[in-house]
Amino acid sequence: MADYDAVVIGAGLGGITSASLLAKNGMKTLILEQSDLVGGCCSTFESQGYKFDVGASIVEIVHPMDKFFALMGRKREDYIELLPCDPIYSFVTQDGRRFSYPTDIEATTRVIESIAPEDVEGWKRFSKLGLEMVDEMMDAMMTSPMNTLGEVAAMAAKNPKVARYLPLLVRNHQSVVRSYYKNPIILGSVAFQSYFAGAPPELGSGIFGFIALSEHLGIYYPRGGMISIPQGMLKAGREHGLEVRTGCKVERLILDGRRARGVILEDGSEITADVVISNVNAKVTYLKMVGPENLPGWAVRAIDSYRLSMPCPMIYVGLDKKPDLDAHHTVVSGSIEEMNRVWNLYYTKGVIPRTAMSLICWPTEADPSLAPEGRHILNFLCNAPAPYAPLGDNWDRLKDWYREEAVRELERTVMPDVRDHIDYLEVSTPLDFERRLLSPQGAIYGLFSDLTSLALFRPHARSRVIRGLYLTGSSTHLGGGVPTTIASGIITSNYVLKDRG
Amino acid sequence: MDGKLVKRLFKVGALAGLVALYFSLDESTRRYLVHIGKQVPYLPYRYFI
Repeated sequence: MADYDAVVIGAGLGGITSASLLAKNGMKTLILEQSDLVGGCCSTFESQGYKFDVGASIVEIVHPMDKFFALMGRKREDYIELLPCDPIYSFVTQDGRRFSYPTDIEATTRVIESIAPEDVEGWKRFSKLGLEMVDEMMDAMMTSPMNTLGEVAAMAAKNPKVARYLPLLVRNHQSVVRSYYKNPIILGSVAFQSYFAGAPPELGSGIFGFIALSEHLGIYYPRGGMISIPQGMLKAGREHGLEVRTGCKVERLILDGRRARGVILEDGSEITADVVISNVNAKVTYLKMVGPENLPGWAVRAIDSYRLSMPCPMIYVGLDKKPDLDAHHTVVSGSIEEMNRVWNLYYTKGVIPRTAMSLICWPTEADPSLAPEGRHILNFLCNAPAPYAPLGDNWDRLKDWYREEAVRELERTVMPDVRDHIDYLEVSTPLDFERRLLSPQGAIYGLFSDLTSLALFRPHARSRVIRGLYLTGSSTHLGGGVPTTIASGIITSNYVLKDRG
Repeated sequence: MDGKLVKRLFKVGALAGLVALYFSLDESTRRYLVHIGKQVPYLPYRYFI
Protein backbone atom coordinates (compact mmCIF):
# COMPACT_ATOMS: atom_id res chain seq x y z
CA MET A 1 0.00 0.00 0.00
CA ALA A 2 1.29 3.45 -0.91
CA ASP A 3 2.28 6.00 1.74
CA TYR A 4 -0.12 8.58 0.33
CA ASP A 5 -3.02 8.69 -2.12
CA ALA A 6 -1.39 11.70 -3.77
CA VAL A 7 1.95 13.44 -3.50
CA VAL A 8 2.30 16.92 -4.97
CA ILE A 9 5.70 18.28 -6.02
CA GLY A 10 5.83 22.01 -5.38
CA ALA A 11 3.74 24.38 -3.25
CA GLY A 12 3.02 26.87 -6.01
CA LEU A 13 -0.57 27.98 -6.45
CA GLY A 14 -1.41 25.13 -8.85
CA GLY A 15 0.03 22.56 -6.44
CA ILE A 16 -1.72 23.97 -3.39
CA THR A 17 -5.05 24.22 -5.24
CA SER A 18 -5.01 20.65 -6.54
CA ALA A 19 -3.66 19.18 -3.28
CA SER A 20 -6.24 20.98 -1.15
CA LEU A 21 -9.12 19.88 -3.35
CA LEU A 22 -7.92 16.26 -3.24
CA ALA A 23 -7.66 16.45 0.56
CA LYS A 24 -11.16 17.91 0.71
CA ASN A 25 -12.34 14.87 -1.27
CA GLY A 26 -10.88 12.48 1.24
CA MET A 27 -7.51 11.69 -0.34
CA LYS A 28 -4.46 11.44 1.91
CA THR A 29 -2.33 14.13 0.27
CA LEU A 30 1.17 15.48 0.85
CA ILE A 31 2.85 18.54 -0.70
CA LEU A 32 6.67 18.54 -0.96
CA GLU A 33 8.20 22.00 -1.37
CA GLN A 34 11.94 22.42 -1.90
CA SER A 35 11.98 26.02 -0.63
CA ASP A 36 11.27 27.17 2.92
CA LEU A 37 8.54 29.41 1.54
CA VAL A 38 5.28 28.37 -0.09
CA GLY A 39 3.78 29.99 -3.19
CA GLY A 40 6.59 29.72 -5.76
CA CYS A 41 6.47 32.97 -7.75
CA CYS A 42 3.49 34.11 -5.65
CA SER A 43 5.44 34.42 -2.44
CA THR A 44 7.02 36.95 -0.08
CA PHE A 45 10.38 36.87 1.69
CA GLU A 46 11.46 38.95 4.66
CA SER A 47 14.79 40.74 4.95
CA GLN A 48 15.88 43.49 7.37
CA GLY A 49 12.27 44.22 8.32
CA TYR A 50 11.02 44.49 4.73
CA LYS A 51 8.65 41.98 3.12
CA PHE A 52 9.40 41.68 -0.59
CA ASP A 53 7.24 39.82 -3.10
CA VAL A 54 9.27 37.26 -5.05
CA GLY A 55 7.57 37.78 -8.42
CA ALA A 56 3.78 38.10 -8.69
CA SER A 57 2.65 41.56 -7.62
CA ILE A 58 -1.16 41.67 -7.80
CA VAL A 59 -4.14 39.45 -8.41
CA GLU A 60 -6.74 40.19 -11.04
CA ILE A 61 -9.75 38.03 -11.98
CA VAL A 62 -10.54 36.63 -8.53
CA HIS A 63 -13.11 34.20 -9.94
CA PRO A 64 -10.87 31.06 -9.81
CA MET A 65 -9.76 31.89 -6.25
CA ASP A 66 -13.40 32.31 -5.15
CA LYS A 67 -14.28 29.08 -6.94
CA PHE A 68 -11.47 27.27 -5.09
CA PHE A 69 -12.76 28.40 -1.70
CA ALA A 70 -16.34 27.54 -2.69
CA LEU A 71 -15.21 24.02 -3.67
CA MET A 72 -13.45 23.78 -0.30
CA GLY A 73 -16.71 24.75 1.41
CA ARG A 74 -15.15 27.97 2.64
CA LYS A 75 -15.31 31.71 1.98
CA ARG A 76 -12.28 33.48 0.56
CA GLU A 77 -12.88 36.52 2.79
CA ASP A 78 -12.28 34.37 5.88
CA TYR A 79 -8.76 33.42 4.64
CA ILE A 80 -7.41 36.21 2.42
CA GLU A 81 -8.06 39.93 2.62
CA LEU A 82 -7.80 41.52 -0.81
CA LEU A 83 -7.15 45.26 -0.92
CA PRO A 84 -8.37 46.99 -4.11
CA CYS A 85 -5.74 48.96 -6.04
CA ASP A 86 -6.97 51.95 -7.98
CA PRO A 87 -5.64 53.32 -10.36
CA ILE A 88 -4.65 50.10 -12.12
CA TYR A 89 -1.49 51.53 -13.65
CA SER A 90 0.37 54.75 -13.82
CA PHE A 91 2.42 55.17 -17.01
CA VAL A 92 5.63 57.04 -17.63
CA THR A 93 6.50 57.37 -21.30
CA GLN A 94 10.10 57.51 -22.53
CA ASP A 95 9.77 61.31 -22.86
CA GLY A 96 8.56 61.65 -19.26
CA ARG A 97 4.81 62.04 -19.77
CA ARG A 98 2.72 60.57 -16.93
CA PHE A 99 -0.90 59.37 -16.90
CA SER A 100 -2.97 56.74 -15.05
CA TYR A 101 -5.76 54.32 -15.92
CA PRO A 102 -8.39 54.11 -13.19
CA THR A 103 -10.47 50.95 -12.69
CA ASP A 104 -13.66 52.74 -13.74
CA ILE A 105 -14.17 52.37 -17.50
CA GLU A 106 -15.89 55.76 -17.94
CA ALA A 107 -13.05 57.50 -16.09
CA THR A 108 -10.55 55.68 -18.33
CA THR A 109 -12.44 56.97 -21.37
CA ARG A 110 -11.75 60.51 -20.17
CA VAL A 111 -8.03 59.74 -19.72
CA ILE A 112 -7.78 58.33 -23.25
CA GLU A 113 -9.71 61.34 -24.60
CA SER A 114 -7.19 63.70 -23.03
CA ILE A 115 -4.28 61.89 -24.73
CA ALA A 116 -5.73 60.63 -28.00
CA PRO A 117 -9.33 61.68 -28.81
CA GLU A 118 -9.11 59.58 -31.98
CA ASP A 119 -8.82 56.40 -29.88
CA VAL A 120 -11.91 56.91 -27.70
CA GLU A 121 -14.17 55.07 -30.16
CA GLY A 122 -11.63 52.17 -30.29
CA TRP A 123 -11.50 52.00 -26.48
CA LYS A 124 -15.31 51.83 -26.33
CA ARG A 125 -15.36 48.95 -28.86
CA PHE A 126 -12.48 47.23 -27.01
CA SER A 127 -14.13 47.51 -23.59
CA LYS A 128 -17.55 46.44 -24.92
CA LEU A 129 -16.14 43.28 -26.55
CA GLY A 130 -13.89 42.58 -23.56
CA LEU A 131 -16.75 42.83 -21.05
CA GLU A 132 -18.92 40.57 -23.21
CA MET A 133 -16.06 38.08 -23.40
CA VAL A 134 -15.65 38.08 -19.62
CA ASP A 135 -19.40 37.71 -19.15
CA GLU A 136 -19.81 34.90 -21.68
CA MET A 137 -16.53 33.05 -21.38
CA MET A 138 -14.99 33.55 -17.95
CA ASP A 139 -16.07 30.30 -16.35
CA ALA A 140 -15.74 28.22 -19.54
CA MET A 141 -12.27 29.52 -20.36
CA MET A 142 -10.90 29.49 -16.84
CA THR A 143 -11.87 26.08 -15.49
CA SER A 144 -12.72 23.85 -18.49
CA PRO A 145 -10.19 21.14 -19.35
CA MET A 146 -8.80 21.56 -22.87
CA ASN A 147 -6.32 18.71 -23.19
CA THR A 148 -7.97 16.96 -26.12
CA LEU A 149 -9.99 17.85 -29.20
CA GLY A 150 -12.95 16.15 -27.55
CA GLU A 151 -12.70 18.38 -24.47
CA VAL A 152 -12.36 21.51 -26.61
CA ALA A 153 -15.38 20.42 -28.67
CA ALA A 154 -17.38 19.74 -25.48
CA MET A 155 -16.47 23.18 -24.12
CA ALA A 156 -17.46 24.81 -27.45
CA ALA A 157 -20.74 22.87 -27.59
CA LYS A 158 -21.56 24.03 -24.07
CA ASN A 159 -20.49 27.61 -24.86
CA PRO A 160 -21.28 28.18 -28.57
CA LYS A 161 -20.34 31.87 -28.32
CA VAL A 162 -16.68 30.82 -28.06
CA ALA A 163 -16.50 30.75 -31.89
CA ARG A 164 -16.85 34.53 -31.86
CA TYR A 165 -13.48 34.86 -30.11
CA LEU A 166 -11.48 32.37 -32.21
CA PRO A 167 -10.10 35.06 -34.58
CA LEU A 168 -8.57 36.77 -31.52
CA LEU A 169 -6.76 33.57 -30.65
CA VAL A 170 -5.26 33.20 -34.11
CA ARG A 171 -4.19 36.81 -34.63
CA ASN A 172 -1.15 38.17 -32.81
CA HIS A 173 -1.39 40.53 -29.83
CA GLN A 174 -0.23 43.64 -31.67
CA SER A 175 -2.62 43.24 -34.61
CA VAL A 176 -5.54 42.97 -32.17
CA VAL A 177 -4.66 46.10 -30.19
CA ARG A 178 -3.83 47.98 -33.42
CA SER A 179 -7.33 47.28 -34.70
CA TYR A 180 -8.64 49.38 -31.80
CA TYR A 181 -5.99 52.06 -31.27
CA LYS A 182 -3.78 54.28 -33.41
CA ASN A 183 -1.95 56.52 -30.95
CA PRO A 184 1.52 55.12 -30.06
CA ILE A 185 1.20 56.13 -26.39
CA ILE A 186 -2.12 54.30 -26.03
CA LEU A 187 -0.76 51.34 -27.99
CA GLY A 188 2.23 51.15 -25.64
CA SER A 189 -0.16 51.08 -22.68
CA VAL A 190 -2.11 48.05 -23.95
CA ALA A 191 0.65 46.06 -25.68
CA PHE A 192 3.15 45.37 -22.86
CA GLN A 193 0.70 42.92 -21.22
CA SER A 194 1.81 40.35 -23.82
CA TYR A 195 5.04 40.10 -21.79
CA PHE A 196 2.85 38.92 -18.87
CA ALA A 197 1.86 35.98 -21.06
CA GLY A 198 5.55 35.38 -21.73
CA ALA A 199 5.76 36.63 -25.33
CA PRO A 200 6.33 39.91 -27.20
CA PRO A 201 3.38 41.69 -28.89
CA GLU A 202 4.26 40.37 -32.35
CA LEU A 203 4.32 36.69 -31.27
CA GLY A 204 1.77 36.44 -28.44
CA SER A 205 -1.81 35.38 -29.09
CA GLY A 206 -4.30 38.22 -29.66
CA ILE A 207 -6.56 36.88 -26.91
CA PHE A 208 -4.01 38.25 -24.40
CA GLY A 209 -4.73 41.73 -25.77
CA PHE A 210 -7.73 41.66 -23.48
CA ILE A 211 -5.65 41.38 -20.32
CA ALA A 212 -5.68 45.19 -20.50
CA LEU A 213 -9.47 45.09 -20.18
CA SER A 214 -9.75 42.37 -17.54
CA GLU A 215 -7.71 44.58 -15.21
CA HIS A 216 -10.63 47.03 -15.19
CA LEU A 217 -12.68 44.40 -13.35
CA GLY A 218 -10.39 45.21 -10.43
CA ILE A 219 -6.84 44.44 -9.34
CA TYR A 220 -6.10 43.53 -5.75
CA TYR A 221 -3.20 43.19 -3.37
CA PRO A 222 -3.46 40.68 -0.50
CA ARG A 223 -2.83 42.12 2.95
CA GLY A 224 0.47 40.78 4.28
CA GLY A 225 2.07 40.33 0.84
CA MET A 226 1.51 37.95 -2.05
CA ILE A 227 2.37 34.97 0.17
CA SER A 228 -0.95 35.55 1.97
CA ILE A 229 -2.69 33.93 -1.02
CA PRO A 230 -0.91 30.52 -0.88
CA GLN A 231 -0.92 30.65 2.94
CA GLY A 232 -4.68 31.29 3.04
CA MET A 233 -5.33 28.49 0.56
CA LEU A 234 -3.04 26.11 2.46
CA LYS A 235 -4.88 26.87 5.69
CA ALA A 236 -8.10 25.77 4.03
CA GLY A 237 -6.36 22.62 2.74
CA ARG A 238 -4.87 21.77 6.15
CA GLU A 239 -8.35 21.97 7.70
CA HIS A 240 -9.12 18.96 5.49
CA GLY A 241 -6.00 17.03 6.48
CA LEU A 242 -3.55 18.23 3.81
CA GLU A 243 0.10 17.75 4.84
CA VAL A 244 2.97 20.01 3.73
CA ARG A 245 6.73 19.55 4.05
CA THR A 246 8.95 22.51 3.15
CA GLY A 247 12.70 22.37 2.53
CA CYS A 248 12.14 19.00 0.90
CA LYS A 249 13.43 18.60 -2.65
CA VAL A 250 12.23 15.89 -5.02
CA GLU A 251 14.96 14.47 -7.29
CA ARG A 252 13.16 11.83 -9.33
CA LEU A 253 9.89 10.04 -9.80
CA ILE A 254 9.58 6.39 -8.83
CA LEU A 255 8.53 4.64 -12.00
CA ASP A 256 7.19 1.19 -12.62
CA GLY A 257 7.53 1.04 -16.41
CA ARG A 258 5.54 4.05 -17.51
CA ARG A 259 3.53 4.28 -14.29
CA ALA A 260 4.37 6.84 -11.57
CA ARG A 261 4.51 5.24 -8.12
CA GLY A 262 5.90 8.07 -5.99
CA VAL A 263 8.98 10.25 -5.58
CA ILE A 264 12.62 9.99 -4.53
CA LEU A 265 13.85 12.88 -2.39
CA GLU A 266 17.24 14.60 -2.47
CA ASP A 267 18.36 12.61 0.59
CA GLY A 268 17.54 9.34 -1.21
CA SER A 269 14.40 8.51 0.79
CA GLU A 270 11.28 7.43 -1.05
CA ILE A 271 7.62 8.37 -0.68
CA THR A 272 5.15 6.21 -2.55
CA ALA A 273 1.79 7.42 -3.83
CA ASP A 274 -0.97 6.32 -6.20
CA VAL A 275 -0.95 9.71 -7.85
CA VAL A 276 1.92 12.15 -8.43
CA ILE A 277 1.13 15.76 -9.32
CA SER A 278 3.98 17.99 -10.48
CA ASN A 279 3.69 21.72 -9.99
CA VAL A 280 7.23 22.10 -11.36
CA ASN A 281 7.84 23.32 -14.92
CA ALA A 282 6.90 20.58 -17.42
CA LYS A 283 10.41 20.55 -18.93
CA VAL A 284 11.95 19.82 -15.51
CA THR A 285 9.23 17.27 -14.71
CA TYR A 286 9.71 15.23 -17.87
CA LEU A 287 13.38 15.71 -18.68
CA LYS A 288 14.83 15.59 -15.13
CA MET A 289 12.33 13.97 -12.75
CA VAL A 290 11.04 11.35 -15.19
CA GLY A 291 14.16 11.30 -17.38
CA PRO A 292 14.40 11.07 -21.19
CA GLU A 293 15.43 7.41 -20.89
CA ASN A 294 11.95 6.63 -19.56
CA LEU A 295 10.11 8.46 -22.32
CA PRO A 296 9.40 7.54 -25.93
CA GLY A 297 11.43 9.53 -28.46
CA TRP A 298 8.43 11.52 -29.70
CA ALA A 299 7.63 12.66 -26.14
CA VAL A 300 11.21 13.91 -25.64
CA ARG A 301 10.89 15.76 -28.95
CA ALA A 302 7.57 17.27 -27.85
CA ILE A 303 8.81 18.54 -24.49
CA ASP A 304 12.10 19.74 -25.99
CA SER A 305 10.22 21.75 -28.58
CA TYR A 306 8.62 24.14 -26.09
CA ARG A 307 10.28 27.52 -25.86
CA LEU A 308 10.48 29.25 -22.51
CA SER A 309 9.01 32.62 -21.64
CA MET A 310 11.47 35.41 -21.00
CA PRO A 311 13.42 35.78 -17.75
CA CYS A 312 13.00 39.00 -15.78
CA PRO A 313 15.57 40.08 -13.17
CA MET A 314 13.81 41.56 -10.12
CA ILE A 315 15.22 44.37 -8.02
CA TYR A 316 13.98 44.70 -4.44
CA VAL A 317 14.32 48.22 -3.00
CA GLY A 318 13.66 49.45 0.55
CA LEU A 319 13.26 53.25 0.82
CA ASP A 320 13.38 55.61 3.79
CA LYS A 321 10.71 57.87 2.26
CA LYS A 322 7.42 57.66 0.39
CA PRO A 323 8.08 57.48 -3.37
CA ASP A 324 6.44 60.02 -5.66
CA LEU A 325 4.23 57.51 -7.47
CA ASP A 326 0.54 57.50 -8.34
CA ALA A 327 -0.38 53.81 -8.34
CA HIS A 328 0.46 50.32 -7.11
CA HIS A 329 1.97 49.67 -10.55
CA THR A 330 3.96 52.17 -12.57
CA VAL A 331 4.89 51.13 -16.10
CA VAL A 332 7.74 52.80 -17.94
CA SER A 333 6.29 52.13 -21.36
CA GLY A 334 7.84 51.97 -24.79
CA SER A 335 6.53 51.51 -28.30
CA ILE A 336 5.38 48.16 -29.70
CA GLU A 337 8.37 48.23 -32.06
CA GLU A 338 10.74 48.65 -29.11
CA MET A 339 9.11 45.75 -27.21
CA ASN A 340 9.54 43.49 -30.25
CA ARG A 341 13.09 44.70 -30.90
CA VAL A 342 14.13 43.96 -27.32
CA TRP A 343 12.68 40.46 -27.55
CA ASN A 344 14.40 39.69 -30.84
CA LEU A 345 17.72 40.99 -29.54
CA TYR A 346 17.32 38.87 -26.46
CA TYR A 347 16.60 35.71 -28.43
CA THR A 348 19.00 36.15 -31.31
CA LYS A 349 21.95 37.90 -29.66
CA GLY A 350 21.64 37.64 -25.88
CA VAL A 351 21.80 41.42 -25.47
CA ILE A 352 20.57 43.01 -22.21
CA PRO A 353 18.24 45.90 -23.16
CA ARG A 354 19.06 49.44 -22.05
CA THR A 355 15.53 50.72 -22.63
CA ALA A 356 12.42 48.59 -22.68
CA MET A 357 9.32 48.07 -20.59
CA SER A 358 9.97 48.42 -16.86
CA LEU A 359 7.44 47.73 -14.13
CA ILE A 360 7.67 49.36 -10.72
CA CYS A 361 5.48 47.87 -8.03
CA TRP A 362 4.79 49.82 -4.84
CA PRO A 363 3.13 47.34 -2.44
CA THR A 364 3.43 49.54 0.66
CA GLU A 365 0.90 51.89 -0.93
CA ALA A 366 -1.75 49.18 -0.36
CA ASP A 367 -0.24 47.65 2.79
CA PRO A 368 2.17 49.86 4.81
CA SER A 369 2.78 46.99 7.28
CA LEU A 370 5.17 45.37 4.75
CA ALA A 371 7.96 47.80 5.70
CA PRO A 372 9.21 49.34 8.97
CA GLU A 373 7.24 52.44 9.94
CA GLY A 374 7.74 55.36 7.54
CA ARG A 375 9.58 53.19 5.01
CA HIS A 376 8.47 51.86 1.65
CA ILE A 377 9.12 49.04 -0.81
CA LEU A 378 9.58 49.08 -4.57
CA ASN A 379 9.73 45.77 -6.45
CA PHE A 380 11.25 46.66 -9.78
CA LEU A 381 11.28 44.68 -13.04
CA CYS A 382 13.97 46.74 -14.70
CA ASN A 383 14.11 46.64 -18.49
CA ALA A 384 12.29 43.33 -18.73
CA PRO A 385 12.75 40.98 -20.49
CA ALA A 386 16.44 40.25 -20.26
CA PRO A 387 18.39 37.27 -21.65
CA TYR A 388 19.20 34.23 -19.53
CA ALA A 389 22.65 33.97 -21.10
CA PRO A 390 23.89 37.54 -21.67
CA LEU A 391 26.33 37.86 -24.55
CA GLY A 392 29.80 36.85 -23.35
CA ASP A 393 28.91 36.96 -19.64
CA ASN A 394 26.74 35.43 -16.91
CA TRP A 395 24.33 36.78 -14.31
CA ASP A 396 26.45 35.94 -11.25
CA ARG A 397 29.11 38.32 -12.57
CA LEU A 398 26.60 40.93 -13.80
CA LYS A 399 24.63 41.22 -10.57
CA ASP A 400 26.35 44.34 -9.20
CA TRP A 401 26.35 46.04 -12.60
CA TYR A 402 22.64 45.37 -13.06
CA ARG A 403 21.86 46.68 -9.56
CA GLU A 404 23.51 49.97 -10.52
CA GLU A 405 21.64 50.00 -13.86
CA ALA A 406 18.35 49.58 -11.98
CA VAL A 407 19.10 52.52 -9.69
CA ARG A 408 19.98 54.67 -12.72
CA GLU A 409 16.72 53.65 -14.40
CA LEU A 410 14.72 54.60 -11.29
CA GLU A 411 16.56 57.95 -11.18
CA ARG A 412 15.87 58.58 -14.86
CA THR A 413 12.20 57.60 -14.88
CA VAL A 414 10.39 58.13 -11.58
CA MET A 415 12.58 59.13 -8.66
CA PRO A 416 15.58 61.40 -9.34
CA ASP A 417 16.69 61.31 -5.69
CA VAL A 418 16.26 57.56 -5.16
CA ARG A 419 19.99 56.99 -4.51
CA ASP A 420 19.83 59.17 -1.38
CA HIS A 421 16.93 57.20 0.07
CA ILE A 422 17.86 53.57 -0.53
CA ASP A 423 17.84 51.60 2.70
CA TYR A 424 17.92 48.11 1.15
CA LEU A 425 18.77 46.89 -2.34
CA GLU A 426 18.90 43.35 -3.69
CA VAL A 427 18.73 41.73 -7.12
CA SER A 428 17.29 38.39 -8.10
CA THR A 429 18.74 37.43 -11.47
CA PRO A 430 17.42 34.78 -13.90
CA LEU A 431 20.04 32.40 -12.43
CA ASP A 432 18.71 33.08 -8.92
CA PHE A 433 15.16 32.35 -10.08
CA GLU A 434 16.33 29.15 -11.72
CA ARG A 435 17.98 28.00 -8.49
CA ARG A 436 15.24 29.17 -6.14
CA LEU A 437 12.11 28.26 -8.13
CA LEU A 438 13.41 25.37 -10.31
CA SER A 439 12.26 27.54 -13.18
CA PRO A 440 14.48 26.63 -16.17
CA GLN A 441 16.46 29.64 -17.40
CA GLY A 442 14.66 31.78 -14.83
CA ALA A 443 11.54 31.88 -17.01
CA ILE A 444 9.12 33.06 -14.35
CA TYR A 445 6.16 33.05 -16.77
CA GLY A 446 6.68 29.34 -17.52
CA LEU A 447 6.51 28.21 -21.11
CA PHE A 448 6.24 30.59 -24.02
CA SER A 449 2.55 31.26 -24.75
CA ASP A 450 1.76 31.52 -28.44
CA LEU A 451 -0.91 29.97 -30.61
CA THR A 452 1.05 26.71 -30.90
CA SER A 453 1.55 26.19 -27.16
CA LEU A 454 -1.90 26.92 -25.78
CA ALA A 455 -4.74 24.64 -24.60
CA LEU A 456 -4.46 21.19 -26.25
CA PHE A 457 -0.91 21.91 -27.43
CA ARG A 458 0.36 22.74 -23.94
CA PRO A 459 1.68 19.95 -21.66
CA HIS A 460 -1.43 18.15 -20.49
CA ALA A 461 -2.73 18.20 -16.94
CA ARG A 462 -3.14 14.43 -17.15
CA SER A 463 0.04 12.99 -18.66
CA ARG A 464 -0.55 10.80 -21.68
CA VAL A 465 2.93 9.29 -21.41
CA ILE A 466 3.30 8.41 -17.72
CA ARG A 467 0.22 6.95 -16.05
CA GLY A 468 -0.51 8.29 -12.60
CA LEU A 469 1.38 11.53 -13.35
CA TYR A 470 -0.51 14.82 -13.47
CA LEU A 471 0.80 18.33 -14.04
CA THR A 472 -0.38 21.72 -12.86
CA GLY A 473 0.88 25.31 -12.81
CA SER A 474 2.18 27.76 -15.37
CA SER A 475 3.43 25.24 -17.91
CA THR A 476 0.00 23.63 -18.27
CA HIS A 477 -3.17 25.02 -19.85
CA LEU A 478 -3.91 28.66 -19.08
CA GLY A 479 -0.27 29.54 -18.44
CA GLY A 480 1.40 31.79 -15.87
CA GLY A 481 -0.40 34.14 -13.48
CA VAL A 482 -2.24 33.98 -10.17
CA PRO A 483 -5.79 33.26 -11.43
CA THR A 484 -4.60 30.99 -14.23
CA THR A 485 -2.44 28.74 -12.05
CA ILE A 486 -5.24 28.41 -9.48
CA ALA A 487 -7.56 27.47 -12.36
CA SER A 488 -5.04 24.89 -13.57
CA GLY A 489 -5.05 23.33 -10.09
CA ILE A 490 -8.85 23.02 -10.21
CA ILE A 491 -8.65 21.34 -13.63
CA THR A 492 -5.92 18.92 -12.48
CA SER A 493 -7.79 17.91 -9.32
CA ASN A 494 -10.90 17.23 -11.41
CA TYR A 495 -8.90 14.82 -13.60
CA VAL A 496 -7.53 12.96 -10.58
CA LEU A 497 -10.94 12.68 -8.93
CA LYS A 498 -12.54 11.55 -12.18
CA ASP A 499 -9.84 8.91 -12.77
CA ARG A 500 -10.26 7.53 -9.25
CA GLY A 501 -14.03 7.30 -9.82
CA MET B 1 -5.31 24.44 -73.64
CA ASP B 2 -5.87 21.14 -71.97
CA GLY B 3 -7.27 20.79 -68.49
CA LYS B 4 -3.96 19.67 -66.99
CA LEU B 5 -2.17 22.82 -68.12
CA VAL B 6 -4.96 25.04 -66.77
CA LYS B 7 -4.69 23.30 -63.41
CA ARG B 8 -0.91 23.69 -63.38
CA LEU B 9 -1.16 27.38 -64.28
CA PHE B 10 -3.73 27.86 -61.52
CA LYS B 11 -1.42 26.25 -58.97
CA VAL B 12 1.55 28.36 -60.08
CA GLY B 13 -0.62 31.49 -59.96
CA ALA B 14 -1.88 30.64 -56.48
CA LEU B 15 1.67 30.05 -55.25
CA ALA B 16 2.86 33.32 -56.79
CA GLY B 17 -0.10 35.08 -55.15
CA LEU B 18 0.83 33.67 -51.74
CA VAL B 19 4.48 34.69 -52.17
CA ALA B 20 3.38 38.19 -53.25
CA LEU B 21 1.00 38.39 -50.27
CA TYR B 22 3.78 37.31 -47.88
CA PHE B 23 6.17 40.00 -49.17
CA SER B 24 3.43 42.64 -49.00
CA LEU B 25 3.13 42.07 -45.24
CA ASP B 26 5.09 44.14 -42.76
CA GLU B 27 8.25 42.65 -41.28
CA SER B 28 6.65 42.02 -37.89
CA THR B 29 3.73 40.01 -39.34
CA ARG B 30 6.18 38.04 -41.46
CA ARG B 31 8.15 37.16 -38.32
CA TYR B 32 4.89 36.02 -36.68
CA LEU B 33 4.04 33.75 -39.61
CA VAL B 34 7.57 32.33 -39.77
CA HIS B 35 7.52 31.73 -36.01
CA ILE B 36 4.17 29.89 -36.18
CA GLY B 37 5.32 27.97 -39.26
CA LYS B 38 8.42 26.73 -37.42
CA GLN B 39 6.28 25.43 -34.54
CA VAL B 40 3.71 23.61 -36.67
CA PRO B 41 5.78 20.40 -37.17
CA TYR B 42 5.82 19.92 -33.39
CA LEU B 43 2.06 20.13 -32.91
CA PRO B 44 1.31 16.40 -33.40
CA TYR B 45 3.90 15.58 -30.69
CA ARG B 46 2.64 18.29 -28.36
CA TYR B 47 -0.92 17.08 -28.68
CA PHE B 48 0.00 13.73 -27.14
CA ILE B 49 2.35 14.85 -24.35
